[in-house]
Amino acid sequence: MRNSKTFIRMSGLGGQGVVTAAHILGMAAAKDGLESTVNPFFGAEKRLAPAESYVRIATEKIYERGEVLFPNIILIFHPHVITLGKCYTMPFFAGLQPGGMVIVNTDRAQDLLREDERAGLMRLEARVYCVPATRVAVEVGGTELSTNIAMLGGLLGVQKLVSQEAVKEALLERFGGGKFVASGTTAALDDVLKSKFNRLAHLVERNVAVLTAAGGSVEEYHLGD
Amino acid sequence: MSEGLFRISPGFEEVMPAEYKELVADGPCGREVGVSDLGAFKELIEEHPLCAGCSAALALRLILASLPKPEDTVIVGSTGCSSLAFTQVAVHNIHSLFGNQNAVAAGLKRALRLRFPDKVKDVVVIAGDGATVDIGLDMVMQSWFRREHITTIMLDNEVYANTGGQESGMSLRGMVLHMAPLGKRFPKVALPEIAREAGCAYVAAISPAQPKRLGRVVRRAILVAREVGPTYVQIFCPCPTNFKFRPDESLQKIKQRQKEGAFQVREYVSPEAQAFLAELEGADHEE
Amino acid sequence: MAIQRVVTPEHLFFEAEREKQFITGSEAVREAIRRANVDLAISYPITPQSESMHLVGDIYAEGYLKEYFRGESEFAVMAEVAGASMGGVRVFTATGGPGTLRAFEMFPTWAGARLPIVCTFLTRGVNSPLTIQPDTIEMAFMLDTGMLMFHAENAQDLYDMILKAFVIAEQPDVHLPVGVFADGFFVTHTREQVAVAPADLKLPPYDPYAAPVPVMDMESAPVRQMRDPFVMKSNFISYAAHASWQQEILAAQERARKYVHRYLEGLVDVEHPEAAVLVVTSGTMVSQSREAVAVARQQGLDIGLVKVKSLRPFPREEIKTLARQARTIIVPEYNRVGWLCREVKAVVEDTTKVIGGPRVFGGMTMPPEVVLAQIRRCCA
Repeated sequence: MRNSKTFIRMSGLGGQGVVTAAHILGMAAAKDGLESTVNPFFGAEKRLAPAESYVRIATEKIYERGEVLFPNIILIFHPHVITLGKCYTMPFFAGLQPGGMVIVNTDRAQDLLREDERAGLMRLEARVYCVPATRVAVEVGGTELSTNIAMLGGLLGVQKLVSQEAVKEALLERFGGGKFVASGTTAALDDVLKSKFNRLAHLVERNVAVLTAAGGSVEEYHLGD
Repeated sequence: MSEGLFRISPGFEEVMPAEYKELVADGPCGREVGVSDLGAFKELIEEHPLCAGCSAALALRLILASLPKPEDTVIVGSTGCSSLAFTQVAVHNIHSLFGNQNAVAAGLKRALRLRFPDKVKDVVVIAGDGATVDIGLDMVMQSWFRREHITTIMLDNEVYANTGGQESGMSLRGMVLHMAPLGKRFPKVALPEIAREAGCAYVAAISPAQPKRLGRVVRRAILVAREVGPTYVQIFCPCPTNFKFRPDESLQKIKQRQKEGAFQVREYVSPEAQAFLAELEGADHEE
Repeated sequence: MAIQRVVTPEHLFFEAEREKQFITGSEAVREAIRRANVDLAISYPITPQSESMHLVGDIYAEGYLKEYFRGESEFAVMAEVAGASMGGVRVFTATGGPGTLRAFEMFPTWAGARLPIVCTFLTRGVNSPLTIQPDTIEMAFMLDTGMLMFHAENAQDLYDMILKAFVIAEQPDVHLPVGVFADGFFVTHTREQVAVAPADLKLPPYDPYAAPVPVMDMESAPVRQMRDPFVMKSNFISYAAHASWQQEILAAQERARKYVHRYLEGLVDVEHPEAAVLVVTSGTMVSQSREAVAVARQQGLDIGLVKVKSLRPFPREEIKTLARQARTIIVPEYNRVGWLCREVKAVVEDTTKVIGGPRVFGGMTMPPEVVLAQIRRCCA
């Protein structure tokens, strides 16, 4: 019952910006005229504790809400999410749809997946991609705080879910003024970000550069290897 | 309340009860009356259903006679003996629940300030010791912390009288009461001192054995609450029914306690309230 | 103060051109209150409600409300809004889950005192064990407080229902508190498209002198209520006074029905009322069920959907009539006790038609697949 819709689960660690990434992606989808709903996982937000958010994008109206239990795409913002079990969803890949897609923020693909996970993903005919999101964020954006944008870049590098123009507009709106609501801790990080980049335009420009660079540095991880 | 609003509609003169007609003709609204004038004007409280010799009832009568502006006073009560008397009180009064009287009063006061920014509207809480120091202490103190412009008056009979004589935080150490079958194990709560530290601009402990002083204390408390900040008045009014003394002994019991040094009349006035009262009372030539 | 123009409720609800915003349920609360001409709001934090009252605080700072502060507990806050409402101003607050239970004594008191308070309940589970996750069990406890109760499906409903709640609550022949319920997290933390009226429009102010009970402001002559208070007497008059007042609250709820029809456009929304099997549900469970019903109908199953918008007053006649022609009624819920199922069973003539569940509780998301499986079983 999911074919016309893309359901995305973003797993990461508190502070990595999974909630913000979902917000920007959902807002960009809305700007592209698509239907979208976005929600974070439901729990206490704590730095470096497991964090998740969910985005639903479709061409028709989306009604269902809550956790995405059957994602088409899973984004993993930190390898520890799977290698150290930093996630509340176990087994981690449960619910991934056949033909689904996994994108991991990592520099080195080896030792990423356990044998049973690899076998399970192969059975689903899933594709796994690696993107060095943190490295791109630091090298291109000048801050690790852009890791979430690099992850979105990785996603868009593999599947053009939304336009880059819409992401740019969403970034402007998200960081541009008091029109959004973030949690207390997320708001504090935003201030750090703003002071780092000083100028909003500059911030958006650098993030778009991160988005593009990350999109170009995605590599498929061959499950059969 | 505007002058002339408190009147009987034409045609209803015959059917209105006598005591109401007296209240309209000879009540305290719009007049400068006080405890010293008792007997010379129609009081706000008619008869009351409390016990014979109830010193809380006497205190209530004195409080009502001391309101500086009864025509613009709203009283918030709580559960307990005193709540039974409020049905007979001719100012707007609210029975909150049990313990939340200061929260209700805080909301009410803020609403009246919004609606009548240029008019005096006094909000006075009158509740028992259980409501004030036990079940409602949180909301009582929080209203002081927030500097709500309300007056809190405790009728301290040192016992849950309405429910049949249980220990309260204001009972004395050692008192044998229901729920304290071996005697109370901790001392009477020093609420006047707590009130002073919690932000009250004016605090007093008094009893109906000194009616004129009680009247002055209540008046000061309400006037300070109007202009400066929260105020607290604790009125010692022992319960003849639960402490099993004769109805005519109530005031004697208070005086006896005072002589023993176990009850002390006292006032704490913040410097700001002091300055305000000096100006006010100097102008009034009251002192 | 923010510059806004008073318009009729009808204009604000049905005529004003709306703008779409991509916002959360918490932000929808803010947008409703921005246009509600609220005098005083009082807040107290509890997940998942806190954000909504932060945002109300933000618009207070912008001048959309006259007064706002943080109270000391839910019981105190509900007492503070009661005092303010008795003083004749329009008030708003919000809570949820354990906060609802902490404040509980105040809710029948609001109704009994005929206070037109609007409170948003952003529901969550109640302890123990500790939970902050979505669950609607608190609504079971609220059904008989005398309050009116609306249940929002999404952020759009939440925005609309809050604004409409003020208008319904303050009708002189109703004058009762209204709880606008929305499932915590599923609505509060979910971002979606919400169509809102222009921000420079607001509802007409509350008129305390149109109330059926006197406002406690000493602007009208006081009456002595009685020579002896009710609690002193075991007599027929005291019993009759209390009994008739309880009945009057219920009668006021009944009189609210016509306004719920006018403003919420019915107590229920029905899709395919002629179907052999009907899903009857409320809140976000409607959303999960919509997905299941759509797939089931594509597969040729004879299934319809009834969204219950108003729980108090309850759509008694509507459900009874719908149940007559249906073979089976499925009632999925986000709580363990199945309070909506009980409510439905209390009004249908043949209770054997009513299948309670599926239910999930404790925070889990209801997969539409589970509702679909129930539909398939019932259509077989």
